[in-house]
Amino acid sequence: MPLLPSPRAGRRTALATALVACTALLSACVSSDDTDNTAKSAPTPSAQVASVPGCEKGWTDPADLSPTRAPARCAPNTPAAKPLPAKTHIVVTAGTLSAEYLGPIRVAIAKGEFAKENLDVELKQMPSTDAITLLSKGEIDVLYSAPEAGMVNAAKQGFNVKWVLGNYSSDPKSKSGVWVRLKDGQTADQVDLKGKTFGSLVGKTSIIMYPIASVLEKHNTKVTDVQFKQLDAQSNIQALQNGGVDAAWLLDPAWKDFENKPGYAFLGGQPAGEPIGGMLYGPSLLDKNRAAGTAFARAMIRTVSTYFAGDYKADPAFVQELAQILGNKPELLAAVPSLVTDWEIRKGTVDKAEKMFVEGEVVQAPALPEDKLVDRSFYAEAVGHSG
Amino acid sequence: MSDGTTEATEAEAAKAEAPGTAATTPDGTNGTVGTPGAPGAPGTEQAKPTPTLLLTRSPGPAELDPDRARRRRRTLEITLGIAVPLLLLLWWQLAVQQKWIDSRIYPAPQTILEDGWKRLVDGKLWPDIWATLKRVVPGFLLGSLAGYVVGLLTGSIPLVRAALEPMLDALYVVPKLALLPIFLLIFGLGETPQIMLVAVTVFFLIWIQTMAAVLAVPEGYREAATVFGASQWQMYRHILIPASLPPVVVGLRLASGMAVLVIVASEGLASPNNDGLGYLIFNAKNIFDQKAMYVGIITVAVVGVLFSELVRLIGRLLTPWAPDRRGPGGS
Repeated sequence: MPLLPSPRAGRRTALATALVACTALLSACVSSDDTDNTAKSAPTPSAQVASVPGCEKGWTDPADLSPTRAPARCAPNTPAAKPLPAKTHIVVTAGTLSAEYLGPIRVAIAKGEFAKENLDVELKQMPSTDAITLLSKGEIDVLYSAPEAGMVNAAKQGFNVKWVLGNYSSDPKSKSGVWVRLKDGQTADQVDLKGKTFGSLVGKTSIIMYPIASVLEKHNTKVTDVQFKQLDAQSNIQALQNGGVDAAWLLDPAWKDFENKPGYAFLGGQPAGEPIGGMLYGPSLLDKNRAAGTAFARAMIRTVSTYFAGDYKADPAFVQELAQILGNKPELLAAVPSLVTDWEIRKGTVDKAEKMFVEGEVVQAPALPEDKLVDRSFYAEAVGHSG
Repeated sequence: MSDGTTEATEAEAAKAEAPGTAATTPDGTNGTVGTPGAPGAPGTEQAKPTPTLLLTRSPGPAELDPDRARRRRRTLEITLGIAVPLLLLLWWQLAVQQKWIDSRIYPAPQTILEDGWKRLVDGKLWPDIWATLKRVVPGFLLGSLAGYVVGLLTGSIPLVRAALEPMLDALYVVPKLALLPIFLLIFGLGETPQIMLVAVTVFFLIWIQTMAAVLAVPEGYREAATVFGASQWQMYRHILIPASLPPVVVGLRLASGMAVLVIVASEGLASPNNDGLGYLIFNAKNIFDQKAMYVGIITVAVVGVLFSELVRLIGRLLTPWAPDRRGPGGS
């Protein structure tokens, strides 16, 4: 009898051993639980909030939902910078870098407002649907987006991601919002939206569903009564023009092409005085380095208060400068009203958005409470609001 | 030339290294047989006749029992084909269990399979599979047919080749997804832009493969047909089409994979009815539903493999004269 197995026998033995090992490993693996993730509670800010000169009007009650509420403002060049002890690198992503609503962050970079806080801010372009995963993992620090379905689901799965800063609400003169094709003789008030097709950039997963739902409600229609077609920005406009969709959400300045055009009507847009987007922080700023998160918020608030406090487009020189910073055309910026910049977050906005997501079946019930999705403590500390 | 001692050593080494091979005498007994050596080169000292070895090889299992050997080989190949991906899946599962990776971002295979099975049983997955197939299959057929016809013409008629090849070469390098907005403009919203996108993708692959195959048909075949007085149609029917089909079938398999790839990306960009596997994947990503995303990815892989195998099967039926170039086990 040979002392050593033949190569063929050895191969058989190795194969059998590998299969047995695989089976054993599989049995071991499938028998245990791998879904032990639970949502984290909102961290409480530890820093003592001190009053901040220049920001006496830097806070409004989140429960004030009046459409005529004046947004919070600090005096120009306040709150004063409080440089961090060490230079801190922060990565911010946004879906686009040239849109007007990016103005405050891009001006803050250009004017050195972040540098005053000893922050080195790197702004990158990335779709928010990709960036939310990186934000959740802590691989980026800030995401310029909105509390969309992806963010809500990430929070529901236990990731610490929160909406910490608002961005803007539309000027009452703006007609960015739902535009509809009218049939013969119809007026905006008579439009029956049931069964209609809506063009949308991101379908039911977007925060835009909230104002769309408000418009639908005015026409006795529910979100589930209409169909959404997911189209890119250009196709959205074309589809509304050629009848591919019955209605669409049009952004600045796309709605200008439909203004005063027979056969089209503006039904409504973003709720007045209520930002529905802004900055989302991930665990790197919510957990590990809250001081940097506050410094970032402070720089943003100072920039808004200094450069975007009012009708900033009234100054053609600033429009020119802003266009240059954004890489946009001055005439396009000047064609639509100034945005009402607003760093605060209204009470109930995420609740209403979540309700839409649950109805649209892109978020499973139950909805999360607001404190799991919103953290106002960064801008509160930056403007010296306590309590 | 080696001397006898060296040859004996080499023979022993060969015996040790190659089972079934032995230095044997013609009657089968092991040993060396002395035979007259070759004469030395002119002008060199004539050596004594050098004994050389007669090497024979004992029949191995493949020769003694070919059917059994083939069955065993096939079993081994199938086992390896299953075991390698299974091992990878096990490592993935283990990595999740041991928390080497975050299960919320990379759900365990077990979780994905359970979710996928639930979607299948609940009937939630079938509409997406069906929607994708409704776009892939017509697009694939349309693109294949057009590509084959144009490939035959450009391969066999130099003037047609001169007229079309530069333009088609230029269009070939255009990223096909970049054509989607144009197709949306031309055909409007609906299934047609998606089908056309698949058709265009498949067209170029089949066109190039067919043209190359026709150009590679040996001139002797054509000459023989000409000598026998074959008409233009008979040249295609009996020479060019049979000779070009086997490589085209290979191209069809490549194109089937590309078709699935393109439709998934296209559905992710603009799905007309918010359905299809691409929509499932991209929408799941949008709403941070990683399990659904992986279910979609795996379903695409399965659909892609089945589609490719179907194309191969049909290709084999269409080209029974084509050589079977699969491995020794035939798998």
